Amino acid sequence: MRQLKAFALAAAVLLSTSTAWVQDSLAQSSQITIARPVSTTAMDPGFLREAATIVDNIFDTLVMRDKSMQLVPGLAESWKPIDDTTWEFKLRQGVKFHNGEDFNADAVKFTIDRIIDPAAKSPTLSYIRTVAGVDVIDPYTVRIRTTEPDPLLPTRMSRYPAYIVPPGYVKQVGNDGFATKPVGTGAYQFVEFIPDQHVKLKANPGYWRGKPAIEQVTWRAIPDGTARITALVTGEVDLIEGVPVDLAPMIAGSSDADLVQVKNGGLTIYLGLVMKDKPLDNVKVRQALNMAIDRKGIVDNILKGMATPKGTQVGPADFGYLDIPPPAYDPKKAKALLAEAGFPDGFRIKMQSTLRYMKDGEVAQAIAQQLGDIGVKVDQEVLDWSVYVQQVPRKGPIFMLGWGSTQTLDADAAVYAILRTGEPYSTASIPALDKLLDESRKIVDPEARKKVLHAIQELSAEQVPLITLYQEDSLYGKAKSLNFEGRPDARIPVFEMSKR
Amino acid sequence: MKALIFIANRAAQGIIVMLGVSAIVFFALFLTGDPAALMMSPDASRAEIEAFRQAMGFNDPIWVQYGRFLGGVLSGEFGNSLRFQRPALDLLLERLPATALLACTALLWSSLLGFFLGTIAAVRKDSAIDFAIRVISLLGQAIPVFWLALILIIVFALNLRWLPSSGIGTAKQLILPSIALGAYYLSAITRLVRASLIEVLGENYIRTARAKGVQGWSLVVHHALRNALIPVITVQGIYFASLLGGALVTEIIFAWPGIGRLAVESIQNRDFPVVQAVVLFAAFVFVVVNFLVDLAYLWLNPRIRL
Repeated sequence: MRQLKAFALAAAVLLSTSTAWVQDSLAQSSQITIARPVSTTAMDPGFLREAATIVDNIFDTLVMRDKSMQLVPGLAESWKPIDDTTWEFKLRQGVKFHNGEDFNADAVKFTIDRIIDPAAKSPTLSYIRTVAGVDVIDPYTVRIRTTEPDPLLPTRMSRYPAYIVPPGYVKQVGNDGFATKPVGTGAYQFVEFIPDQHVKLKANPGYWRGKPAIEQVTWRAIPDGTARITALVTGEVDLIEGVPVDLAPMIAGSSDADLVQVKNGGLTIYLGLVMKDKPLDNVKVRQALNMAIDRKGIVDNILKGMATPKGTQVGPADFGYLDIPPPAYDPKKAKALLAEAGFPDGFRIKMQSTLRYMKDGEVAQAIAQQLGDIGVKVDQEVLDWSVYVQQVPRKGPIFMLGWGSTQTLDADAAVYAILRTGEPYSTASIPALDKLLDESRKIVDPEARKKVLHAIQELSAEQVPLITLYQEDSLYGKAKSLNFEGRPDARIPVFEMSKR
Repeated sequence: MKALIFIANRAAQGIIVMLGVSAIVFFALFLTGDPAALMMSPDASRAEIEAFRQAMGFNDPIWVQYGRFLGGVLSGEFGNSLRFQRPALDLLLERLPATALLACTALLWSSLLGFFLGTIAAVRKDSAIDFAIRVISLLGQAIPVFWLALILIIVFALNLRWLPSSGIGTAKQLILPSIALGAYYLSAITRLVRASLIEVLGENYIRTARAKGVQGWSLVVHHALRNALIPVITVQGIYFASLLGGALVTEIIFAWPGIGRLAVESIQNRDFPVVQAVVLFAAFVFVVVNFLVDLAYLWLNPRIRL
């Protein structure tokens, strides 16, 4: 019966979509449509299994990031550490959820409790894994307790799953109802969600940061790159996310659209090295491989300049970034190092890669060729992402992977999970590095922490537990009439946009 | 009685096929790897992944999981989608109308045009027009659908700007995907109608009809076409069944919210329950339609009546 209802409902929606849109009387100029490659499945920020791009416009966090990626007050007006494991947040007063509910300390406690409840099985629990509990001090003051000193707590409160939800409404509709009809305090309020078709939002007139310039925004999913760019160039949509490098000229050559290139806005691509396998256990071999790769050549020729060669996994906008230049391309020295390590004639090794990142197939081929130049014969294996992602932590012995810290803009996200011995995505094992990594997670004082993060990057550059290649730009296409700059944290806040 | 035995026989075959398919979809998907590692966020710790796996029942013996799966399937429960956190069958049925709309449109235009072209080619056998139709239908079957779809977008949406490039909701948005999807069937139906009609036109009863003075289109339409259509209808039933399982490539390229796109995105995200539901549904539709075609065959063709 339930199935029959679902079928009938979908059939009815299909028939009515065209007419419903026509009835909209909003001025054309203040409406925009944004196309993303992926469909949205659900919009409960506590239980997301996808990027928070859309919910970011519906909800607010206690702490926000401005355009220059600095942490600024959001729903919290201020915050400070009380002791090593307690942070106090003073909340903004007079903010209301879209349904009229008041935002207050109870809402914060409800939001966090809902996620850290082990029975709730939130898929993004790990993003706030240090949170032990929330104490309501008064209606506009909360204290968040952590299980250990956590310097990143304010950062954790700036992203999902910590978007603040309305307790009354969530209790009333349940988690499932909330995921398809979300209510937040954000710049846009929910209008309509039709799976695989669109999500519609309209401006929140009482928004605490002021009324948004764009009245209505429709999010569409267009999986195919050519179709997505065509939709932009022909004016069907105003903004697209995910522009394939090969197709970027289609936008650049259009008179109605612009390519938006956000430097260091994407993933950092690296070669993981399974360090327990011979000969990668030898630091000289790792150093040799590191300098045998022509990063600049790859970026200029294959990626058409849409990436930046790098010498550290940490992004330039991250807290704790140390400007380590990429190692110089020096095949002669690499060969000499290999000989010193006992491999004058090189060796044979398998390299795995996938098809997910910018032109990764061609990049992998170029790397195989360059390693071949120093006598390392590479057997390439290219796997589908869904298979690849599960093998990565174990196989290799060389594997290509993209890793990002743009969601937190802190060095911790860029290094810990892929360098610390025993972490699921880490194939590195350097005891001195582990010591530094563990230490970095326990220091709350920013200056002291920065020093340790720098030491981690210096040691990595010397020991080469993995080979950092380059950081991708993030590419968007936008209509010329739309004001949109693109952010390093990959968010698309419609609140910051306007239309000419 | 004979007819009843025939029907029971076919129904039993269908059930065996469905059991086989269920075993294949279950084991094949499970043997490819660990869903827990993929469903959790990348920086989740080992303990967190393990806890998640335990909660989802991925740690039980595989036979226990298969038993649970089969029991669920029989009662229409495929479990919750890992990605949507909603019943897999609901997701599928919500997308069925879009897939059915595209399938019907594609099959309708390709059948009408296919009958027309096939008939002309058969009647004018070995003429220049027959040759042209044969070349076109050969091309239609040879061109990959993803290429045709992209060319259609580039020509009609990007360059000429006559039609929208993707999405659903207006009649205009239905045109390009149904052309891309129907092109293959147009070719197949044209070739089939042509071959079948040429065969029928050589039959004795047609010679008799000619001898009685029946000529031209009257002969083709009233005497030949009716008999020539029997194999065509059988094949069309099978095409329709396969189309209802979702048009993977077409739906992805044109952002069509149907079952095919659901299938592809579920495979990419290793969303087991949905992939299983889609494959079993496609197989089920196929088995049922085949069964109905067999029955229709009995009714349409008195010569094989039992």
